[in-house]
Amino acid sequence: MRDLFVAMMKEEWRVHSTMFGSVSFALFPVLIAAIARMGSVLLPYLADTIPGGLIGFLVHAMFLLMGAMVGGFGLLGREVMNRRFGQASLLAYSSRTLPLSDRRIFAAFVAKDTVYYLLLWVFPFLAGLALGTPLSGLPPSFVGLAALSLTLAFLTGLSTVFLLSTLYAHSVKLLAAVMGAGVLLAILLTGVGGMNPQFLFPPYALFRGWSVPLFLLSLGIITLFSAVSIQYLTAEFPDREKRFANRFGPLAGQLRGFRYAPLMAKDVLDLWRSGGLVGQTLFSFLLPMGIIWITLSVLGRIMPQAQILVTFAGVAGVIAATMYTWLTEFDTLGAYTFLPLGTADLIRSKFASFLLLQPITAVSVGGLAILTGNPGAALPATVLALSVAVYACGVMIFLTGLWPAVMVYSVRVFAASLLFTGPVLLGLIALSSVSLIYAFLSVFLFLPALLLIRLSFRRWETWERAFL
Amino acid sequence: MPPVIQAEQLTRRFGDVTAVNQVSLDVQAGSLFGLLGPNGSGKTTMIRMLTGQIRPTSGSARVLGMDVAAEPVAVREKVGIIPEQESPPSFLTAEEYLSFVAKVRRLDEGEERAGWWFDFLEFEEKRDVLCKDLSRGTRQKLMFAQAFLHRPVLALIDEPLINFDPVMQQKVKEYLREYVRDGGTIFISTHILEIAEEICTDVAILHLGNLVHAGPVAGILAGKKHLTGFFLEAVGKGADA
Repeated sequence: MRDLFVAMMKEEWRVHSTMFGSVSFALFPVLIAAIARMGSVLLPYLADTIPGGLIGFLVHAMFLLMGAMVGGFGLLGREVMNRRFGQASLLAYSSRTLPLSDRRIFAAFVAKDTVYYLLLWVFPFLAGLALGTPLSGLPPSFVGLAALSLTLAFLTGLSTVFLLSTLYAHSVKLLAAVMGAGVLLAILLTGVGGMNPQFLFPPYALFRGWSVPLFLLSLGIITLFSAVSIQYLTAEFPDREKRFANRFGPLAGQLRGFRYAPLMAKDVLDLWRSGGLVGQTLFSFLLPMGIIWITLSVLGRIMPQAQILVTFAGVAGVIAATMYTWLTEFDTLGAYTFLPLGTADLIRSKFASFLLLQPITAVSVGGLAILTGNPGAALPATVLALSVAVYACGVMIFLTGLWPAVMVYSVRVFAASLLFTGPVLLGLIALSSVSLIYAFLSVFLFLPALLLIRLSFRRWETWERAFL
Repeated sequence: MPPVIQAEQLTRRFGDVTAVNQVSLDVQAGSLFGLLGPNGSGKTTMIRMLTGQIRPTSGSARVLGMDVAAEPVAVREKVGIIPEQESPPSFLTAEEYLSFVAKVRRLDEGEERAGWWFDFLEFEEKRDVLCKDLSRGTRQKLMFAQAFLHRPVLALIDEPLINFDPVMQQKVKEYLREYVRDGGTIFISTHILEIAEEICTDVAILHLGNLVHAGPVAGILAGKKHLTGFFLEAVGKGADA
């Protein structure tokens, strides 16, 4: 068991270091600690505008989500790696080739995920929080309690996903019944029983007020969920084959005005059926945008609202450019090399699909302008966001070709990307802050964007045929 | 009639490793050509160069009269390719994938042709299953169908039968023979010598990236040798060299 645990730890490290590069990945905990330290220092200022309870809840919810995502990635890891590397496997899936039971392997897997991600994410975050205390003035007891409750929140997310996956493996109906019963119990306890809703999330309740019974309850839930997952583990999944009616033909028909309609229809189906469109929009776009908006809102007392909106629109454009990575993560170039398609065709089609996703950006930025009482700023802010998105996407295509998710971890590419976009973005934000009318100047970014995309055809065609 | 495939001193290096070393060979129209060799001999690299997936380090190749390095997309327009490892896209169903290929290849009768392949390769009941959920054998059937959907005059296939059961192997072998009888050309890469002996008209043997033999199968069998014995001898020679 110990050997298996150690081997799984090594394997996890190698998966990440292969994807992102050893040095880049080794610096990841340092980055987390730095961000946490910055957050810790800003906490007293944030607390002036946002209720402290809400900040605490959001951070605990984030750790719960992080735990759930780690669990989810662990269980879907093979599929993710297959998409990225072609054929891949993990020790966790080798029960049929090793003289070890599924249960034993899964127990080692749970232990590995717990230890590895505590070391990678949770502890660096807590270290950053602790390092910020001299400036934030937070008492050490607060940091100590947060360390405990956030660790428990993370483990709750992890063990919940493991439990749900075990239930799913037995029966989808059982999963639905248990989840339904959970929701019903929560309604009964809080609605009829009058229980404070924070007790539904014991780690957060523990953070709000330390007590031994709450600590034991939090720990008990994690232990129970993990034990049930391991005890009732089954390797046989129901409904393995997913069937769909032909949506490709009609979709390609609807997109027939586009030169690359079949490729765009495939991109849309990839995103939709993988759950990526909803998941990525929520976690990779709306969530970061929400965090940025909250952070910028803090500056509301010293900056005019329209200026905040312009800054937000510019940053939103940069974030929107990452939608290009959503479109490329499902494909390896090899999947196209036996079809009459060149690198230029693939880049053009991905860019067209990227444009197809931009209503998400437009609605988010324009909608926010209207919701915050700045309807007059909606159009210039939206134009700015879309222009920056297209330009930043052009830069990304030029620098990373069809491999943005991998290449972005190259320090050189990252630095070049900052050089290409940073000054342009700052210049536009500064100009638009003087007068919103200047935001419309951003449409001229389409020209360098298209030029960069054009230049990328030859650059990446040469690279791919030389190195792949 | 000029050969459908002409390789001239084709070489590919990956860093310090020479995967294919100055290989020259011709494949005539109407032949079922087998590229044989042990694991790591350079067969897959050779196919990838001939289909324009990778550029040769030196040397050249012409396929159907076109320079592959200069016109890779035009070559892939004309030929059918089944790579060894690549799978169809995960989130399309089998039917949608063939529809996708038909649209990319701008085929008017894509649907009917796809229907014929579902029927011929006996996987009609998997039409609406996502490609990621298909078994290896069914994925191989799908890859086979996509390669022949546009009725190419030349097909290049890396390990054509490796995931098929014996019944399907027989059916596919018969299809390949008939395809060649109808004027098509097949270039396969395999290390299963029994298959090569049974269906190939010509073979070439690669060993450590070097071409150690090229010629008709009939010539080998006329020497009262089985292909396996001949192959082992050729590879032994290659090793000595």
